[in-house]
Amino acid sequence: MRDLLADLIESARARAGYADARFVHSRVERLSTRNGALDQIDSRESEGIGVRVRVGGAWGFAAVRGTDRRDAEAALTRALSIAEAQPAVPEATPLAPEPPAQGEWSNSVARDPFEVPLEEKLAILLAADAGLRTEPGVNLTLARFSAFQTDKIFASTEGALCEQRITECGGGMAAVAVDGESQIRSYPASHGGHVAQAGYEHFLALELPGHAPRVASEAVALLRAPACPPGRKTLILVGEQLGLQVHESVGHAVELDRVLGREASYAGTSFVPADGIGSLRFGSERVSVTADATNSGGLGSFHWDDEGVEGRPVPIVREGVLAGFLSSRETAAEIGLGRSGGCMRAEGFDRQPIVRMTNVNLEPGDAGSLEDLIADTGDGLLIETNRSWSIDNRRLHFQFEGEAAWEITRGERGRLLRNPSYAGVTPEFWGSCDAVCSADDWHLISLLDCGKGEPGQVMRVSHGTAPARFRDVEVGVA
Amino acid sequence: MNTLEVAERAAGHAGAGALALVTRERSLMLRFAASTPTQSTGIDDVTIEIAVPLRGNVGLAATNAVDDESLAHCAARARGAAEAAGATHDGSFPGFDPEYDAAVLEAFDSATAELDPALGGAALADAFAVAEAHGVEAHGIWTVAEQDQAWATGDGGGSEVRTDAFMKVICIAPNGRSGYASQSAIAVGALSPAALTEHAALKAAPSAAPVELPPGEYPVVFEPQAVGWLLDLLGATAFNGLAYAEGRGALVGRLRERITAPAINLSDSPTSVRTLPRSFDAEGSRKAPLPLIQDGVAHAVAHDIRSAALSGTVSTGHALTPGGDPGGPHPTNLVLAGGGARDEAELCSQVERGIYVTRLWYANVVRPKETLITAVTRDGTFLIEDGKVTRPLRDLRLTDSVLGILSHTRALTSEQKLTSDGEFYGRRFAYGVVCPALSADAVRFTGAAG
Repeated sequence: MRDLLADLIESARARAGYADARFVHSRVERLSTRNGALDQIDSRESEGIGVRVRVGGAWGFAAVRGTDRRDAEAALTRALSIAEAQPAVPEATPLAPEPPAQGEWSNSVARDPFEVPLEEKLAILLAADAGLRTEPGVNLTLARFSAFQTDKIFASTEGALCEQRITECGGGMAAVAVDGESQIRSYPASHGGHVAQAGYEHFLALELPGHAPRVASEAVALLRAPACPPGRKTLILVGEQLGLQVHESVGHAVELDRVLGREASYAGTSFVPADGIGSLRFGSERVSVTADATNSGGLGSFHWDDEGVEGRPVPIVREGVLAGFLSSRETAAEIGLGRSGGCMRAEGFDRQPIVRMTNVNLEPGDAGSLEDLIADTGDGLLIETNRSWSIDNRRLHFQFEGEAAWEITRGERGRLLRNPSYAGVTPEFWGSCDAVCSADDWHLISLLDCGKGEPGQVMRVSHGTAPARFRDVEVGVA
Repeated sequence: MNTLEVAERAAGHAGAGALALVTRERSLMLRFAASTPTQSTGIDDVTIEIAVPLRGNVGLAATNAVDDESLAHCAARARGAAEAAGATHDGSFPGFDPEYDAAVLEAFDSATAELDPALGGAALADAFAVAEAHGVEAHGIWTVAEQDQAWATGDGGGSEVRTDAFMKVICIAPNGRSGYASQSAIAVGALSPAALTEHAALKAAPSAAPVELPPGEYPVVFEPQAVGWLLDLLGATAFNGLAYAEGRGALVGRLRERITAPAINLSDSPTSVRTLPRSFDAEGSRKAPLPLIQDGVAHAVAHDIRSAALSGTVSTGHALTPGGDPGGPHPTNLVLAGGGARDEAELCSQVERGIYVTRLWYANVVRPKETLITAVTRDGTFLIEDGKVTRPLRDLRLTDSVLGILSHTRALTSEQKLTSDGEFYGRRFAYGVVCPALSADAVRFTGAAG
């Protein structure tokens, strides 16, 4: 395969200003149970080659399944014809320089999840599912396992030739209770649970069966819980809900293709200006955010991105001030950055790389543990686990709803509340952050379904956060 | 590639009772931003899904290789999955029961299937020229595709070749105001790049500063594009047969009851050429018209084989995955009947003070059992005063029940439009909603947007 890609690139060299080719072999395994029975047992495999060329300033990309040499050459010809058919692009910016990627890399895996017998995985899911059904009043129980393995080889006309294997694994579960309205509780998170760049050991460590009775009990308790009252409150966000807040209002807002208007027709633009580095106040001095493709276990981790740029930590916000962007070689060059942020990722061989999040993390603060933060809060709300999310096309006005909230009264966690929605405006919201817990409470959460691009691409990303507090937030809005 | 031949070989490897679904995509998409080409993607790929039912469980495996060795390996994985499930418990899946004499549809256009990049290049050039004449930038996509799909069991199979074409244009004026227009069709020749851009440019043109409205309830005129979003979300929350069977659907206990205004007549019409038609679903079940709401009364939900078995009925041909998608079945060819209003202007004429919405965006379900959703308006939101569109409005966040909005529906235009968002995640599955513009007396807005 390396030889085929090298030959393709050699053939492209005389016909395009730049070209790259990626071979991708993907394996996916999804198992789930539903009300004590099998819901899904799905094993998928695909492979193919995607060729991207730049002619003048116009990009062409064509993908073909399989590894047939003639098909791959036809894909190159197709990519060139697509690029050449488009209206001329004036003044194409040179790509930001990058040393050619060379070598091999794979993430750490103790036990290959694809080698574990299906019966063993199903037994854990069924045990979790049974635990969820111990609570009367639960209508629907779900438990799921997911594993992904991606082999990639990348070559470019600039001399890159590198190979990576990425293995990801994890799972989760949920209980739904219905009585007039429906309520859901998930563990360890919604959106497919918690998946990490790791082997089967990560799925085992989630200990789904052990948590099942509590999850089911909370789902039923939510039916009887009072609704979150409207008003302005102090808010503590934890885990996945805070991760999603970072994802939607920080991560997407600093994607440089959006900032430059390239995604206006679909994902939208951004309130963040391209010249805002060093001057735009994004949040309070407590807020520092880093996009780090080197986090162990993060779904946004890799050694090289899908245009051969080495992954590294990129400062995004420092003490509340914009410090950088998620970028590609093309977009970085356009605003005069010396180097790409290394954020180009493609869903598979048949999608071209676009600017995506790596692991966009809220850096830990000094507020101690979650218990310390609650004790320090006085009155407020703690919201956990995301249920609904929406944000406008400039990533400015958002509205989220969690699965559950707990009242905080005089520094103690109190009664459970249902339907805890809240809304805000991105820089004001992050400006109201007055405490972030310490490094011991900092963890990665995963999101498996970040959609972007045309044709659409779904990307898996992680976000590291420690519980954080926000003052004077509008709640009970939905 | 003959997809039916591949499906029959795949089914043969899988053995009795198994079903193979083969979907080949050939597509081309050109993107543009600020009146400049940005990304372009040509795809030629195939997905072969093999589903093996065993002791009431379905094992599913997929590959994109068509040689016999790969198909045999894929079939073995599917069978192994079903056996693993069967070792732990018996399931309730009754087995595949496809129709071998599916309807023949007019869903193919040979010019579209050529995937000619020169046609796309010309479409972009037309859009850029119109945008320049209006002093705005054009952003959007132009895309065409051919989907060749076949299914087979050991007893035979069926196949169908469809094409689809889609273009959307968002024009952005120097002051940041934007306008939207899109068109979806079976044939690329039906797309009108210049007219679309003209429409979008005129929406972006008003130079008056946008007015802000506080949160509250307002009368609204929704263009078809926005109505299509609402109905698609309704499909997921109310007409999902799996959610219904599990007691969490919005129509549990409400079938044969009035759930909307009497003016609402909604059906799934998969063979109508006004939609993007398809004659069979992912389980080979024949698709047929399904009345969902008639004169405001709920009539049915959509089923695949699994959800139908749970409800003690038969599939309505709405499977998205062989053996049942975890998300449940979903209508894919919704048609909302038109009303008596001549056009959107006539709908506005009945509104003293309200909001004109071109499209909704980032819609998400908040509470599915209540069909409560939230979304923001985008690319053409205006104030209606004394029966006329008067000024641009700052975008707003809508948070309301879709069934509630349909209950407050006052009038519909007679003309319907095929609406689509042109979102093509995974293997391309082009679908749209045919619907008119709609006015509703009271819609809840919870904040600002944009």
